[in-house]
Amino acid sequence: MNATRIAIDYSKCGEVGKIDPRKCGKCLKICDPAVFLMHQPLHTQQDPFDPQVWRITAVWLSLCTRCMKCVNACPEKAITVSW
Amino acid sequence: MCEWCMKHGAGKKWYLNAKNYSDELARELEAEAYLTEQWRNFEQVFIRKIAGFSSIGLGYKLRMPLIGRVLRWNAEKMIHSESRNRDPIRADGHFGQVIPLEDARIILSELAAEPIIENYCMCRWMQRNVKDVCCINFGVLSGVIEKLPRFVPEGMQHLDREKAMNRLTEHNEKGYVATVWFQPVPYINAICSCESPECGGLRLRKDFGLHSVYKAEYVILLDPDKCQGCKSCVTMCQFGAIRYIPSLKRVIVDYNACFGCGLCRHACIHDALKLIPREDFPGLRGMY
Ligand code: SF4
Ligand code: SF4
Repeated sequence: MNATRIAIDYSKCGEVGKIDPRKCGKCLKICDPAVFLMHQPLHTQQDPFDPQVWRITAVWLSLCTRCMKCVNACPEKAITVSW
Repeated sequence: MCEWCMKHGAGKKWYLNAKNYSDELARELEAEAYLTEQWRNFEQVFIRKIAGFSSIGLGYKLRMPLIGRVLRWNAEKMIHSESRNRDPIRADGHFGQVIPLEDARIILSELAAEPIIENYCMCRWMQRNVKDVCCINFGVLSGVIEKLPRFVPEGMQHLDREKAMNRLTEHNEKGYVATVWFQPVPYINAICSCESPECGGLRLRKDFGLHSVYKAEYVILLDPDKCQGCKSCVTMCQFGAIRYIPSLKRVIVDYNACFGCGLCRHACIHDALKLIPREDFPGLRGMY
């Protein structure tokens, strides 16, 4: 089976997008195998103890079953799942 | 006993050795600086490149012919690192073990260094966007966490030992697996109440076979004469280790799957489930 790729459009969700994933978090909650991770982006200048800029990365890709629930749950349509 | 008991247990289980909780050890290991770095960057551990690879798509990477083996070897080495120059941002030397409630209560009543706090579970936060107050931390780690607002529940206070034990008991009965952690080995400063698949440690162990968490020193023993086949215990097991067998009208245990957390016992009103030392089954000896 091909590897699954999950791309997040950060112009919609994340540091420049209008959605703060900490306030939304729908993809994190809908995904049963919990493929997604919410984290501070690497290499951004922000308060190291209290970062306010967050983004989502799909980390555990091999566990994705391609059910597409995240794609449908995302209010900004920021998620693409492909293989 | 596992290899870590041999190395750091002083003749006991590693997590029952008082020295591993001491402030002197924390100072010697410069644990405060290590933990500050580790915890400030906690959510980034899986996206950082470590020896050229991040954990993104780890399952695929581990399946690559030669690279997969090198990667696994490297990851195990990192997880268990006792080297002086271990890197906190990669959480080198941070791993734990499943423990039953009884052992967790011994730790909290006698061994954990004060102050003891209870903060938001960082795994559930970064994997589910859920804030759940259930991580009991102590010693030097408490002061480190107090500086990180995202992990600090409103009005967080230091817990006395009694309260800490009560909280842990509540979590365990609810269905969270108790785990105790080196961070960094051999300094012990946390008892978590873990849930799979959110828990980063259980994730690496269950899905990828890395020894970020060891199975408990125990396994469950089912008394087939007492079991009434009510199936209540099945719902408690996060490891899929108990299954109802219609032909026998009772449950059976998959001993290779059992982590020895003891949660299933909370569900059994017929007293059919007990934990016994792993060593009592010759076939399970050393299978942590
Ligand atoms: S069978 Fe019981 S002791 Fe074993 S892993 Fe499952 S819940 Fe824990
Ligand atoms: S809860 Fe107890 S009686 Fe019910 S199935 Fe499990 S072991 Fe048997």
